[in-house]
Amino acid sequence: MAAIRNSLSPWHFAGLMARPSKACDRLAGPAPEVHDVILRVVLPLSIVPPVLAYVGGATFGWRLGGGEPLYIPADGLVLISLAYFVALVTGFVSTALVASWMAGTYGARREFGAHLAFVALVGMPAIVASLAHLAPHAFVNMLLLIPALIWSLYLLYRCLPAALGTSPERGMLMASSLVAYVLVAFVSLLGITVVLWSGGIGPALGV
Amino acid sequence: MAAGERYHDRVAGWLTGFAVLWSLLGMTAGVYIAAELVWPTIDFGQEWLSYGRLRNLHTNAVIFGFGVSALMATAFYSVQRTCHAPLFAPGLAWFVAIAWQAGVLAGGVSLLAGWNGGKEYAELEWPFDIAIAVVWVCFAVVFFGTIARRRIQPIYVSNWFYGALIIVIAMLHIVNSLAIPVTWSKSYSLFAGAQDAVVQWWYGHNAVGFLLTGGFLGMLYYFLPKHADRPIWSYRLSIVAFWAFTYSYIWAGPHHLHYNAVPEWVQSLGMVMSLVLLAPSWATMVNGVMTVAGAWEKLRTDPALKFIVLSLAFYGLATFEGPMMSIKSVNVVSHFTDWTVGHVHSGALGWNALITFGTFYFLVPRLVGAELYSTRLANWHFWLALAGVMLYVLAMWGAGVSQGLLWLSLDEIGELSFSFKDIMASMAPYYALRLVAGVVFLSGAALMAINLWMTVQGRAVVRVAPPPVAEGAV
Ligand code: HEM
Repeated sequence: MAAIRNSLSPWHFAGLMARPSKACDRLAGPAPEVHDVILRVVLPLSIVPPVLAYVGGATFGWRLGGGEPLYIPADGLVLISLAYFVALVTGFVSTALVASWMAGTYGARREFGAHLAFVALVGMPAIVASLAHLAPHAFVNMLLLIPALIWSLYLLYRCLPAALGTSPERGMLMASSLVAYVLVAFVSLLGITVVLWSGGIGPALGV
Repeated sequence: MAAGERYHDRVAGWLTGFAVLWSLLGMTAGVYIAAELVWPTIDFGQEWLSYGRLRNLHTNAVIFGFGVSALMATAFYSVQRTCHAPLFAPGLAWFVAIAWQAGVLAGGVSLLAGWNGGKEYAELEWPFDIAIAVVWVCFAVVFFGTIARRRIQPIYVSNWFYGALIIVIAMLHIVNSLAIPVTWSKSYSLFAGAQDAVVQWWYGHNAVGFLLTGGFLGMLYYFLPKHADRPIWSYRLSIVAFWAFTYSYIWAGPHHLHYNAVPEWVQSLGMVMSLVLLAPSWATMVNGVMTVAGAWEKLRTDPALKFIVLSLAFYGLATFEGPMMSIKSVNVVSHFTDWTVGHVHSGALGWNALITFGTFYFLVPRLVGAELYSTRLANWHFWLALAGVMLYVLAMWGAGVSQGLLWLSLDEIGELSFSFKDIMASMAPYYALRLVAGVVFLSGAALMAINLWMTVQGRAVVRVAPPPVAEGAV
C-alpha cells in the first residue's frame, strides 16, 4: 500500500477525493512530515480560491443580488484575497490542531502530520468548488458549495476512523465534534469580517 | 414505598405523542410559509392562509405545541425516577396534559382567525393568557409536589433546570401578559413605548433561555447519562453552570433592542451579559461531550445517541453565534436580516428538535417495553436531519449577510446603492433553498413519527414500580 507521505501534491489529493476508500487506506499509513504537508498540500490548495476570487471579482464584480454588481477597487480586492488566503491556511491548520488535541479523548493517533493530511483531504471538495468564484454570483457559489460540503462531510465521517486510527464509534463522535469546531470557526470568521466592515474596513457601509 | 405503587408514565406517553403531532403540524406550517416567501400568491387571497397569520401559527405550534409538550412529557417521566416517587396528584398531571393540548389547538385557531396581541411569542390574546397561567401553575404543583415527596435527599440537576423553566416562565408570562381587555379578542398591554419593548424582550429572550435552552438542558441532563449508562462527566460543573446560566440569562434581553429607543447603557449591559453567557453555555456542552466520549460503545446499539451528539454540536454553534450577534458592531449588520432566522433555526432544528428526537427514540420503546421498530429508519432520519439543518443554516447565512451588506451599501455620493425592494426580490433563490431544507427536515421527522407509531402500536405503557429505598437514605 502506497503511503500518503510519498504522494503529497494537490493533484494527488484531488484524485483521492474522488476515491474515498483508496483515500482512507492511504491516510491510514505512516504519517507524513508536517512541513511536507504544509508546503506541498496546504499552501498550494489555499492559494487556489483567493486567486479565483480575485480574477472573478476584478473581471465581473461580485453580485450579491439586488441589481448592480459590487465592484471593489483593485487594491481592496488584493487585500481581501490575501485575507482569504490567511483564513484558509488558518482554517486548515487550526482544524488539524483541534483534531490532534481531541485525539486523546477519542483514542486516535497523535501525529500532527496525519491530522493535517486528513483535514486537507476533507477540505479538498470545497477547494474544487471554489472554481465557482470565476462566476462571482453569491448564490451560484452557494449552490456549488452545497454538494462540495456534502462530499466533505461524507469524507469526514467515512475516513476519520481509518485515517486517524480509532474505532468507527469513536470516529463518529470525533467527526461530530469537528463539525462543531468548523461551524464555530466559520461563524467567528463571519463575525470578524462584519466587525471589520462596520469599523470602516472593506466595502463602504452607512454605519 | 407503599405496596403496589407505580410510576405514572401514561401521561408522559400521551404528551410524547402530542409533541410528535405538533412537530409535524408546526413544521408543515413552517414549510408553507417558507413556500410563501418564494411564491407569495399561494395564500390564494385567504386571510387565514396569509403569511402574517401562518407565521404565528408556526412559531406557536413548534414552541408551545412541540417544545412544551416534549418538556412536560420528559419532566413527568424523569422527575419520578430522580425522586424515586410517583407523580404527586396524577389527576392534575392529566389535566395539565389535556388542557395544554386544548389550549394550543384553540390558540392556533384563534391566531388563524386573526386574534393577535402583537407581542412576539406571546401573540395569544388575554383569555388564553389566563388559561395558560392556570395550567402552568398546575404543572408547577405536580412537579414540585413530586419533588417534595422525593425519597432521595439530593435534587438531581435535571430537576433544577426543569424547576427553573417552570418558575421563570410563570414569572415572564404573567408580567409580560399584563393587559387591559377591551373585548374577548382584544386587549391593550399595560406597558407602552420603550418600556413595553424592554419587558417584551425580557420575556422573549428568557423564553429562549429558560424554555428552549434551560428546559431542554433538563432533558439533556436526565436522558444523556441514561443513554450513556454512566454518570454525567462532572456533576459539580453542571451545578456551577446552572447557577451561572440562571443568573446571567435574565439580563441579556436588551440585545434584541440594539440601536433602538432604549437607553444606551441598557443595550450595552445586554451585550455584556450576553457575552458572559457563553461560559455557562459551553460548560454544559463540554460536560455533555465528555459524557458521551466515555460511552462510545453505546453508539453500536443505540441509534438515538447520534442525535444527541449532533444536537450538542449545534447547541455549541448557536450559543456561540448568539453572543457574537449581540456585539453591537455585528448586530448593526445582522439585525433585521435572515441571519437571525438562520441563527434561530440552528438552535431550533439543530438543538431543540434533534435532542428531542434522540430522547424520543430512547423513551418511547422503554415506555411500552419494546424494541424500536426500525433502526434503519432512525438512521435515515439522522442524515435527513443533518442535511436539512445544514442547508437551512447555509441558505440563511448567505441571504442574511448579503442583505446586511446590500442594505447598508453606499455609492460614491453617499446614497444607498440598492433599493430594499430589489434586494428582497433577489433573495428568492435562498428562500427556495430554505424551502428544500425544510422539506428534507420535515420528511425526516415524518419517518420518526412512522417509526414511533409502529413501535407503540398495539402495546400498552409498562407499569414500573419505584425501586425500594434503603432505610435511612431519606
Ligand atoms: C421544517 C422545519 C422548519 C421550517 C421550514 C421553518 C420555517 C420558518 C420560516 C419561513 C420562518 C419565518 C422567517 C421570516 O419571517 O423571515 C420561521 C420562523 C421561526 N421558526 Fe421556523 N421552521 C422550521 C422549524 C422550526 C422549529 C422546529 C422551531 C422551534 C423549535 C422553529 C422556530 C421558529 C422561530 C422561533 C421563528 C421566529 C424567528 C424570528 O422571529 O426571528 N422553526 N420558521
